[in-house]
Amino acid sequence: MNALLDAGLAPWLRAIDPGPIPAWWQERRRRALESLQTRPLPHSKEESWRYTSLNALLDQGFTAPVQPFTPPPAELDALLIPGLDTHRLVLVNGCFAPELSSSTPLPEAVRIGGLSNWLADDPDLLEDWLGTAIDGKAAFFTLLNEATLADGLAIWVGRGLVIEQPLEVIHICSGQAEPPVAQPRLLVHLEAGAQTTLIERYVGLGKTPTCTNAVIEVSLARDAVLRHERIQTESNQAFHLSGLYLVQDPGSRYQGIQIGLGGRWARTELNVRLQGPHAECLLSGLYVAGDGQLLDYHLDIEHRAPACRSLEHFKGILSGRGRAVFDGRVLVARAAQKSDATMTNRNLMLSEEAEVDAKPQLEINADDVQCSHGTTVGQIEPELLFYLRARGIEARLARRILCLGFASEIIDQIADESLRGHLNSVIGQRLG
Amino acid sequence: MSQSGVTSMLSIKGLRANVGEREILQGLDLEVGAGEVHAIMGPNGSGKSTLAHVLAGREGYTVTAGSIRFLGEDLLALAPEERAQRGLFLAFQYPVELPGVNNTYFLRTALNSIRRARGEPELDAVSFLRLMREKLKILHLDDSLLKRPVNVGFSGGEKKRNEIFQMTILEPSLAILDETDSGLDIDALRLVADGINALRSAQRSMILVTHYQRLLDYIQPDYVHVLAGGRIIRSGGKELALELEQRGYGWIEAELAA
Repeated sequence: MNALLDAGLAPWLRAIDPGPIPAWWQERRRRALESLQTRPLPHSKEESWRYTSLNALLDQGFTAPVQPFTPPPAELDALLIPGLDTHRLVLVNGCFAPELSSSTPLPEAVRIGGLSNWLADDPDLLEDWLGTAIDGKAAFFTLLNEATLADGLAIWVGRGLVIEQPLEVIHICSGQAEPPVAQPRLLVHLEAGAQTTLIERYVGLGKTPTCTNAVIEVSLARDAVLRHERIQTESNQAFHLSGLYLVQDPGSRYQGIQIGLGGRWARTELNVRLQGPHAECLLSGLYVAGDGQLLDYHLDIEHRAPACRSLEHFKGILSGRGRAVFDGRVLVARAAQKSDATMTNRNLMLSEEAEVDAKPQLEINADDVQCSHGTTVGQIEPELLFYLRARGIEARLARRILCLGFASEIIDQIADESLRGHLNSVIGQRLG
Repeated sequence: MSQSGVTSMLSIKGLRANVGEREILQGLDLEVGAGEVHAIMGPNGSGKSTLAHVLAGREGYTVTAGSIRFLGEDLLALAPEERAQRGLFLAFQYPVELPGVNNTYFLRTALNSIRRARGEPELDAVSFLRLMREKLKILHLDDSLLKRPVNVGFSGGEKKRNEIFQMTILEPSLAILDETDSGLDIDALRLVADGINALRSAQRSMILVTHYQRLLDYIQPDYVHVLAGGRIIRSGGKELALELEQRGYGWIEAELAA
C-alpha cells in the first residue's frame, strides 16, 4: 500500500458498491491490491514508461466519487452525434446508467447489462468471464481498476448472431467537488460466428480535470467478427488511461480503430493475444496532439498460434508542443509459423517543438514468417502546399486540408458517415 | 508586344531571378494584352519553367531585379493564393498527388476561396456538382474523377487533363500552361487542346510554355517568343514556331553566342 499511499492514489480505491459483493469478487479486489503493494509505481526506468511521466497525473489529486452522479439529460444530448444511429449504452463514472441508455429491445441472444445485473442473473458466468482476457498480464493501472472493481458493463453476443445496428458505449467522467477519477470496466464477448460493431466513446463533460482509468476485455470465439471503434475526445484537461485486452480464437477477425484527439495526458495500452490459427487483427490509429497534450500508445501483439495475421497502422499529427509516443511490439511465438505481421507508424510534424517517440519492435521466434515494421516522421511537403495555394486556397486552410488528407487513411475506416464527419470537424478545429 | 488599344494583362520588365545561387532569368521583358495567346518556346534550361514558377509565386525562386504587373497590380507583392484569387492560373508541368484530398472538395474549396476573396457568393455543394459535371464533359473525363483523391493514381495524361479541367472550373484571367503537352499521346493532346481552345476569350490571356511546336498545331498563338539564356531573344508570329520546328534551336544558340 505504500507506493499507492505515497503517490496519493489511495482516494482512487473508494468504490460505490452496486450491492452485496460476493466473496470471489472481494477476493479479486484483495489480490489486485496485494499485487499493487508489491510493485513500485510506474517510473521512467521501465521501458514502457520511459517517455511518459506520471507526475502531472499524480499532482491533480484525483478522487473516486462516493456519490452516484447523473448528468442532466441536456448535457448528455450535447454529447451525441447527430445522424449516428446506434444502440446507446452510457457509463457514468464507471457505473452503467440504464436510464440514459437506449431502451429499444435487442435480439434475445445479446445480453447486455451492468456488472451488478450480471451478478444477480448469472454470477457463475461472470466469475469465469471477468479477468480471463487479462490472463495475468495486468498492468499497474489495470490492477488499480481491479482493486476497486464495482460496476461496469458486460456485453455477450450469442452464437452466430449478426447485429446490424452498432452498439455505442459512451464513457462519461464527471463530478462536482473534487477532480474525479472513474475506473470503468467493459467486458465484451462474441460467441462463435457472431458479428457486431462496437463504438466506444470517451467524452468530456465540463472543463475541469477528470481522470478515466478504463479496462476493456474483449474475447472473440471461433470465426467471430468485431469492429471496434474507440474514440477519445475528452477535454484538454482530461487524463486518460485505457487498457484493452483482446483474445482471439481461430478464424476470428478484429478490426480496431483508435482515435485520440482529446486529453492532456492520455495513455492507451493495447494487448492482443492471437491464440487460435488464422485469426486476424487489424489495428489502426490516429492521434492528433496539440500544445500541452501527450498521447501515448503501447501495443503488445502476441502471435501465439500459426497462420495469424496482424496489421498495426498508426498515424499521428503533432502541432505546437504536442507530444506522442508510439511503442509497439509484435511477438511471434515459436509455434506461430506462417505469421504475417506489419507494423507502421507515420507522423506529421507541424512544428519544430512537437515531439514523437516511436519505437516499433519485432520479436520473432519462428522461422517461417512475414514480418515488417517501419516508422516515418515528416513535415508537410512544400510542393503540396504550393499546389493548393496556387489554386487560391489560403495557406492555413491548405495546411488543414493536407492534414485531413493525411488523417483520412484512418478516418475513412470508420464505418458511419456521420461519425466520420464529426471526427473531421473535431480534427479541423483542433488544427486551428 | 502590347498593341495599342489592348488592355495590359501582364507586363514584365527587366526580370532577373535566381534559383538558389544561380541566375536563371537575366533581364526578361514580356507584354501580354487581354485575350492574347503567347507561346514561349526555348531549349531545355532556358528558363521557361522558372518564368512560370516565378509568376505563380513558388518558394525558392528569388527575383533580384525587374518588375511584374498583373492587371495593374504589383504581382511580386502578392502571396501565391492572392495571385490565384486575382485570376492567375498555373497548369503545372508535374501536377502533385494529394492523397486523401477528394477532387470535388479540393476544387470547391479553391473556387470558393477565389469567390470569397472577390466578394462573390460561395457555391453550395449541389450547384458546384452541377458545374463539375458540365465541365467534365468538355474534357471527356469520367465522373469517377469527382470522388477520387486529387491526381492519385492518375496517368501522366490524366493529370494534365485534370489541370485543364481545374482551369475550366476556376476560369482564370491569365493561364500559364507549363509544358502541358509533354507526355501526352496524340488523342490526349487533342482533348487538352480542345479544352484550352474552348476557354479562349477576349478577356482571357494565355501563356503556353513549350519545348515543341506540336501543341501549336492545335492551339494557334498570337505571338511566339524564343527564350534562351534567360531572355527573350526573338519574337514573332506563329510562323516563328514553324521555323524553330524546321531549324531547331541550334541556330538561335549560335546567334546568341556570336
